[in-house]
Amino acid sequence: MTKQIDLEAEIQRLLTEHDSVAEQGITVHRRENQVVLSGEVESGQRRDEICRQVTSHFPEIEITCDIGITRAQAPSEVEEIS
Amino acid sequence: MIRIAAVGDVHVDKDVVGRYRPALEQLPDRADALLIAGDLTRHGTPEEAKCFATEFGGLAVPVVVVLGNHDHQTDQQQRVTEVLTDAGITVLECSTTVLEIRGHRLGIAGAKGFGGGFAGACASNFGEREMKNFVGTTEDIAARLGEALRSVTCDALVALTHYAPVPETLVGEPLEIYPFLGCYQLGNAIDSAPTALALHGHAHHGSERGRTPGGVPVRNVAHPVIKQAYNVYQLLSESVDAELVPA
Ligand SMILES: [Fe+2]
Ligand SMILES: [Fe+2]
Repeated sequence: MTKQIDLEAEIQRLLTEHDSVAEQGITVHRRENQVVLSGEVESGQRRDEICRQVTSHFPEIEITCDIGITRAQAPSEVEEIS
Repeated sequence: MIRIAAVGDVHVDKDVVGRYRPALEQLPDRADALLIAGDLTRHGTPEEAKCFATEFGGLAVPVVVVLGNHDHQTDQQQRVTEVLTDAGITVLECSTTVLEIRGHRLGIAGAKGFGGGFAGACASNFGEREMKNFVGTTEDIAARLGEALRSVTCDALVALTHYAPVPETLVGEPLEIYPFLGCYQLGNAIDSAPTALALHGHAHHGSERGRTPGGVPVRNVAHPVIKQAYNVYQLLSESVDAELVPA
């Protein structure tokens, strides 16, 4: 049990502190023998790098990468503040 | 009427340059100014700041920003600020700017802010030196943001921070990390002045809308929260027009 919690913490810190990732907004969930990564990043390269880093640091774990790329289209609505 | 475009947490590096530009080019038709709520870059290097300036500089509307924690990662926040300023971007840190917009004065007071937590679950300025330094930083930034807000003479006052001033806009984040996402002292600072709108980022999994205890509308404009290039908020409305661009 302790080991599972440690693994999630280690992945979370790797994603934040590894220089080629620097993401604080990735959620790490364990589902049976899988680790599911979710959240959004700014580019496909960043998503691929996250998966690459986690896979190479934890080769024995099955990783599912559900990370999306945040859309960057112009808005069509305005919100009135009152 | 004033229309403000806002986004935060764009985390720009080489791989992002060009992604926002098509939407930014449409800004003059949609808003009078662009405010960016910190985490402009990934690691806060001058090179990344140049990428940010390429993407968000040279627009037809004024651009006003605060830095975020990512912009401090390599301890070069001073260089980052210089790169942005050289590109014509206004960087606020416990300071203010006033923009003249169609006869109205839009006042903006900005600060990065800091963590510390919220009423009932916050850190105290007590105990070890490290803890007192942490909460002392929280208190100092919030006090200076409050002074900045109260110093502005304008028709509409906006507070711009990276860290959150209220817990409502953090809903969606794990409760355990709230103290690292914002502090109630920022909310108090916002309430100490006639603030019309408070904008922040940092909480990528948070929610968009909240209010300070004093009733000031708060919007979390972190890019993964708003899921578009920027949101547009209308202040000093003469009439409500929800269509952003007439058909
Ligand atoms: Fe961020
Ligand atoms: Fe942040």
